[in-house]
Amino acid sequence: MTAAVQLQKKAQGDRPQYFDDPAIDKVLAITLALAGETAVMRDRMDTIERLLETGQPVTRAAIDGYIPGETVRVERDAWREEFLANILRIVQQEREGLARAAGLDLRYDDAVALVES
Amino acid sequence: MTEISDSIDTSLTAQLAHGILPQPTSDEFARQEFVKSLKYHLATQISPGNKEALAARAAPAFAKAQGRPPETMEDVRSAMRDEPYFTFWSALQRNSQEMMWKSVQIPVERQLPDLISRARTIEDASGSLDLDPALPIPAYHRAVDIHCLPGGYHSEFTDDDVANGACYDRAVYLYAMGRMGPLNSDIGDTTIAFIKERFPDFAPARILDLGCTVGHSTLPYCDAWPDAEVHGIDVGAPVLRYAHARAEALGKTVHFSQQNAEQTNFPDGHFDLIISHILVHETSNRAVRNIMREAHRLLRPGGIVVHAETPPYRDLPAYDAFMLDWDTRNNNEPFWGASHGLKATDIAAETGFDLAHAFEAYQPSAFDAAQAKRTAVFQGGDFGGGGAWWLWGVRKQA
Repeated sequence: MTAAVQLQKKAQGDRPQYFDDPAIDKVLAITLALAGETAVMRDRMDTIERLLETGQPVTRAAIDGYIPGETVRVERDAWREEFLANILRIVQQEREGLARAAGLDLRYDDAVALVES
Repeated sequence: MTEISDSIDTSLTAQLAHGILPQPTSDEFARQEFVKSLKYHLATQISPGNKEALAARAAPAFAKAQGRPPETMEDVRSAMRDEPYFTFWSALQRNSQEMMWKSVQIPVERQLPDLISRARTIEDASGSLDLDPALPIPAYHRAVDIHCLPGGYHSEFTDDDVANGACYDRAVYLYAMGRMGPLNSDIGDTTIAFIKERFPDFAPARILDLGCTVGHSTLPYCDAWPDAEVHGIDVGAPVLRYAHARAEALGKTVHFSQQNAEQTNFPDGHFDLIISHILVHETSNRAVRNIMREAHRLLRPGGIVVHAETPPYRDLPAYDAFMLDWDTRNNNEPFWGASHGLKATDIAAETGFDLAHAFEAYQPSAFDAAQAKRTAVFQGGDFGGGGAWWLWGVRKQA
């Protein structure tokens, strides 16, 4: 459904380009948007499960109108934290390597130099 | 609504659903919750890796090239310019900001006619709204849309528009990850706590909030000094229409008018207290001085002006200052960096005040419930995370 009034979608001002190939900027934006939509679908499934568990009618109106209270929000926060840790694992992995290197003052290139010497 | 959902959530961990707050569907709510979680994950799990990247890669490379380690904020910036971990985090952080605005625009766009209708038909208002369609929007708001809100505070997409007020109210809650309280009032509450501690006998009769947007920082002043007359000004009509509806829905009396804080239509000596909350960094070097000259004109002798912001870079370690400066180049905040070099005494002396009465101070955040989730650092994309606000200002000579 198209809303009667369309809001402006891009903020005025040049968007920074973070990567040499601008396609990477686009792909990252799409990937994060998809992660968000996956979380939306997961919450919708969770809503359906909770409605079923409490014996309530599972109608679209009931699902669309469901806003979780604090207990459910806390559970969903925990699920999303795990979900984000999973999908951003590759970044976390780099961080762990950096932390090790920072601690040992040994970079990977140094390790190569060490074994090659 | 179903029986197992809370129709009005009054917990400290949810935004209070006041009468004009857009109501999301379950999917819209989930999309906003994802943004909040993403921002929290970035702030707590990904952003700290930048410091490790500096230590492990960027600082050694800088030292090799320069013959000395990076010491200043500029050194750290230079060292980190091409650091791939920092670049990737920056890209993630920028996306989280854009996703935040998108997630709040969707429900606002869907129910905009209803929101406008509710703002139009306020009955028995105790406060007021005075708009000036001829007011020029300052260049520093027209040049870029501040912090990436499409259209900024001022753009109107239909008659009597409240859209960007509604977007902003919800986005402030998501940006702060709930740590400004159910009414987003933490900066106002914290500034009030500072004023009451520093000036215990001060009882303002007229209060002016500059750049008040949706009034989330303005409303606490109604409770702090119940006998005071409270005014809020902003250049943006959509945020003021929304602010008026929001204040009335919450039963607070505020007089909102569309004015530029650099030059207002109030009489000389009209106010006892003038405040602003994260306004200064959205102006310019020239504008902040104009604002202070105008504050000097508007204050009665013995009156006080206070601005709430994040800490000046000179007070932070070089790495922390570098991270706080992220917004300048990555979040459409062109005056962010320069504004973090302002000194209260310098500005006071330049704008008619006695610099001996200028002050700079840190005040712990008033919203205790947020403490457990604070990241305890001031950083790009998480400026409310530090757990304190930096306050500066001056008292006009009695």
